[in-house]
Amino acid sequence: MASSSEQELRGMFECQVCGLTVPYSYVGQKPPNSRTVVLLEECYVLKDPFSSDKDRFLILGSQCSLCSKLVCVGPECSLFYSKRFCLPCVRENLSAFPQEIQQDVEKRYALSKTGSRKLDSRT
Amino acid sequence: MLSKRAEDGGCWEPEGCGQWDWGCPETRSRLEEVFFGDQDVIRRGSEDCRRFWAFFERLQTFRKPKPGPEAERPPEGPRCPALADLPATYDPRYRINLALLSGDGEPGPGPRGAHGRLPRDRLAEFRRAVLHYLDFGQKQSFGKLAKLQRERAALPMARYRQHLLQALREHQVVVVAGDTGCGKSTQVPQYLLAAGFSHVACTQPRRIACISLAKRVGFESLNQYGSQVGYQIRFESTRSPATRIVFLTEGLLLRQIQREPGLPQYQVLIVDEVHERHLHSDFLLGVLRRLLPARPDLKLVLMSATINIGLFSGYFSHAPVVQVPGRLFPITVIYQPIPKEEVPTSKVERLDPRPFLRVLQAIDRKYPPEERGDLLVFLSGMAEISAVLEAFQPYAAHTKRWVVLPLHSALSITDQDKVFDVPPPGVRKCILSTNIAETSVTIDGVRFVLDSGKVKEMSFDPKAKLQRLQEFWISRASAEQRKGRAGRTGPGVCYRLYAESDYDAFAPYPVPEIQRVALDALVLQMKSMGLGDPRSFPFIEPPPAASLETAIIYLQDQGALDASEHLTPIGTLLSQLPVDVVIGKILILGCMFDLVEPVLTMAAALSVQSPFVRSAQSDVECGTARKPLESDHGDPFTLLNAFNAWVQVKSDRSANSRKWCRRRGLEEHRMYEIANLRQQFKGLLQDHGLLAKARVVTGDSYSRQQRHRQRQELYQLKRRHEEGEGRKRKVLRLEALEGGSSSGEEAEVSGSQAGDGTHHVDIQDVKFKLRHDVDQLQAAASSAQDLSRDQLALLKLVLGRGLYPQLAAPDQYNSCRKDSDQFFHTQSKQGAVLHPTCVFANNPDLLQGGQAEAQKNQGPLSDRRDGSSSQHQLLAFVSLLETNKPYLVNCVRLPALQALLLFSRSLDTDGDCSRLVADGWLQLQLEGSEGAVRILSAALRLRARWEEALDRQLARQAWPRGEDGAATAPKTERKAAAALGRDLLDFMRSKVSYSIHRLTALEAQNLYVGPQTITAAPQLPGLFGEAALTPHETKGGYAVTSFLTYNCLTSDADLYSACLRTFWSCPHCGFYMPLTPLERMSHESSCPAAPDGDAHGASEEEEATSGRQASTLRRAYHCEICQKDLLLTPTEILRHRRLHV
Repeated sequence: MASSSEQELRGMFECQVCGLTVPYSYVGQKPPNSRTVVLLEECYVLKDPFSSDKDRFLILGSQCSLCSKLVCVGPECSLFYSKRFCLPCVRENLSAFPQEIQQDVEKRYALSKTGSRKLDSRT
Repeated sequence: MLSKRAEDGGCWEPEGCGQWDWGCPETRSRLEEVFFGDQDVIRRGSEDCRRFWAFFERLQTFRKPKPGPEAERPPEGPRCPALADLPATYDPRYRINLALLSGDGEPGPGPRGAHGRLPRDRLAEFRRAVLHYLDFGQKQSFGKLAKLQRERAALPMARYRQHLLQALREHQVVVVAGDTGCGKSTQVPQYLLAAGFSHVACTQPRRIACISLAKRVGFESLNQYGSQVGYQIRFESTRSPATRIVFLTEGLLLRQIQREPGLPQYQVLIVDEVHERHLHSDFLLGVLRRLLPARPDLKLVLMSATINIGLFSGYFSHAPVVQVPGRLFPITVIYQPIPKEEVPTSKVERLDPRPFLRVLQAIDRKYPPEERGDLLVFLSGMAEISAVLEAFQPYAAHTKRWVVLPLHSALSITDQDKVFDVPPPGVRKCILSTNIAETSVTIDGVRFVLDSGKVKEMSFDPKAKLQRLQEFWISRASAEQRKGRAGRTGPGVCYRLYAESDYDAFAPYPVPEIQRVALDALVLQMKSMGLGDPRSFPFIEPPPAASLETAIIYLQDQGALDASEHLTPIGTLLSQLPVDVVIGKILILGCMFDLVEPVLTMAAALSVQSPFVRSAQSDVECGTARKPLESDHGDPFTLLNAFNAWVQVKSDRSANSRKWCRRRGLEEHRMYEIANLRQQFKGLLQDHGLLAKARVVTGDSYSRQQRHRQRQELYQLKRRHEEGEGRKRKVLRLEALEGGSSSGEEAEVSGSQAGDGTHHVDIQDVKFKLRHDVDQLQAAASSAQDLSRDQLALLKLVLGRGLYPQLAAPDQYNSCRKDSDQFFHTQSKQGAVLHPTCVFANNPDLLQGGQAEAQKNQGPLSDRRDGSSSQHQLLAFVSLLETNKPYLVNCVRLPALQALLLFSRSLDTDGDCSRLVADGWLQLQLEGSEGAVRILSAALRLRARWEEALDRQLARQAWPRGEDGAATAPKTERKAAAALGRDLLDFMRSKVSYSIHRLTALEAQNLYVGPQTITAAPQLPGLFGEAALTPHETKGGYAVTSFLTYNCLTSDADLYSACLRTFWSCPHCGFYMPLTPLERMSHESSCPAAPDGDAHGASEEEEATSGRQASTLRRAYHCEICQKDLLLTPTEILRHRRLHV
């Protein structure tokens, strides 16, 4: 009951890659009520809707450090490697990333393809 | 290994040894101390903490084959400056965008003494693990969120969002038509909220849907609306001032309209599932159609399956329709009509399960067990379900491939919940269901549907006022709905046990409820809402005219409507009570005689489904355990005993009420319902001034504190339960179900666990204790437990008067019949039998007092047709239900003569009043005219007093609240009521020998002498009060009161008997004169020394005051018809008006 007033919604977060639109309640590096965790980037944050714990937050996304697009943290849209990068930027500069990241991106790409196909068949 | 624990109790070797054990409890404890404090994200001892350690262990095994730490620098390429400062060597920790402050070198909050004793690198490693865990949690939650959003966007409804909002901007009414799975129920409310609408009400036909939708919408909208999404059902509400959208039942919205006809509290109304055509939703549509012109700013959204859309759109002047395709997977339909030889030839014959079994076998042959998918079988009723269950179980036990579960509304809640459990791998679930699974209950994972094509539906026979449960073919719409249940999660198969030609011959839609149920509650509500003549109300599809007429006549019979179909004071009150008219009357009557507590319980118990579990009927142990609860007065008393005994168990903190109920075959859930309902009734009676508001008993501060603490604890339990989201799905056990439907043992186990103090919260119990003051309930229950004989008798009288005219007389030959062959007759229905749950069904001798005594009296000398006794009994019943036979449900026994004299709307006598005919169907032959006259005139006086007392009570209710008189009945009034109660009891005890006889049709036809030529009324001042005798226009004889007609019965005895005077001496004053019977009565009722007068004499003062009060109730009344100005009480006005009809 009290949480609804505490968690005033600030606006809508929209991922510029996948279009995911979710309301957010905080932007910054120190989410409210979480005293011992800090974020290493400026994030759009929502109180975790899947937890009854008021202090739990959920990171929605942040700006790509290269192109400044707002992207969600979903594996098909962006990755974090000391900074946030949207996947299009990663792919463009793939060689600048370590081997592990490169492999990971390849894997994600392949996965997202089969994943979306699976989803299509469901609908 | 041994050396491990050698030093300092720690688990690590001195540095460099590398023998580190993460699993050591002590190490873990220290780490927890450092990282999982009160301020930290993960707290010691929490569920989260446990999950972390599980994660940690997996992480450790995953980490074991650690790759060489030195990965080569990435190959140089064209790099932009922003990428220049990427870490040179890869480490997974760079992929985490979180940092942890706790356990760091910097002083964390609180003493972290253990910190220093842990090696630095281990701490760092642990910190990384925590970060990985948090990151993992983020990914999981985000995955859920993204999936949720994806699914919402993928719903067919999503593409029509703009279309719907546009239509709603332009029109007042919009119809949204979409089939199962299109998402209309969950999405439309959210669209409205997002579009800025507030004050939205969304009605649902079922309470359970209100709760689940409010939860779902709150969840899907990511709690962004928080408490703005709420629900409101009969006993529960999450509504608050912040609520912007509320899910509520149709009935509740109607009640709100009743209070505030303009519905100012809402901007948008959504009426969901209109195609189901429930009585309330049909009525609601009619009311809203009238309301819309008065509220041009109000928007209305009707939501329906794609059934009969034109009807709804057309009803609201061709409202635009937003049609949304459903989302079902393809379903193969297989028609398998039942071969002729397996079709039951008669109604009574049991269903042949062979066609059903063949489908089960076909599924086993065709589909490998690894392919999951459950079977849902639609059957018409409980008997059919048990027939199929019996046939399926051996097959299931043999193949070990099936778990068979019944599903119908008479099952206990826990048994109903079983259908949501999952079968073990390789086993399919087979649910045998009534049409409850067609709309009300949705079970996931169903791939096969087997449709019998039959449904049992309640229909209403307006002529006999009889509910009938009959089997019908379903409609095409229902058949499609049933089929659709197979295609919710994947492609499915639907087997139909009828031919395609049968399907084509089905009615297109089910019969709307309004066309097949009793309409008295509806008519009463319409009257109280001022909707005018129900016959001309513009229903979407009007009910049968006969049903409306029956309802109106019924309400007139019950005294709720007067002759001109206006609400009477009692009718106004009844319309406020959300119960059956009969039950409402009982409540009102009970208030008068200080019988409120037991009457509240009975009224509540009679308004819910029977708490007695049907399957326990045949259980001997249950039967014995139930025995002490049974009352030989009738079923309502048994219910009263059961509830009171249950409350006693509840108030005993150590007792396990759940177990107690199970022993006795009682459904505890119904007990909770009864408790809630009686509380609601109590509140309503208090609101209407019929019951004094209970003074709040404030104990000493200690007990208050104690109570407060208890409540706090309960709240906490409730909150914790809600967080845990209740029941998790269990895996069904094959063995447990093999032996039969019995899941009792299993339940017993979990029950005893609860008793052992394992933390198993009975949430129902918690809610119950939060809602009710158990001590108060217990006090009420124990006071009801030792009701005196007098109170019991009075209670019966109250029930009888409430239930009248629902009376049945035992067949005259019952005493010669077997227990199971007892017949009863009501005025309109012959040959009814007792419901098997009825207490008299097993003890028919309780009803044969009269017949048995009569037989004894029939010595060789007595007249053959005599059958005289003073103990004849009648049954008053709550409902008459016809399944394969007409059953009387919930019966009370009453002494026949007294009940008829006190309740009958029409009493006709012969010249010396020894022959009486009640309501034109039961004839009483009294022994000796003197006794007859005496008891008749006593009845008349009592009826008048009772009526007057009721008038006063209702008048008090009508007064504006807050005035002194409204809170409590004046003392004199209460004394008068007590005196009336005593006199009524005396009357009940009066012993007069009589025979009782049901008139044959022929006798009933030739009952009355008819209009007479001599119309001069005998001059008999004081007889039957002040009423003037007027000749009765149709029956002949004289109308003495509105119900009593004197000397109108034809008889073979001579016609002049009434005029014959015989010498008679008054037993009280010694007056001696030749008098006619009528003159005798006249004398007796005015004799100053009469016993009745004596009884009052004790409280003569009160009598006088009550008389005065009656006169204060009188008000000037101008009769339009006879153009007279009169001074009358409300009942007298009614009586007067009736004279003109």
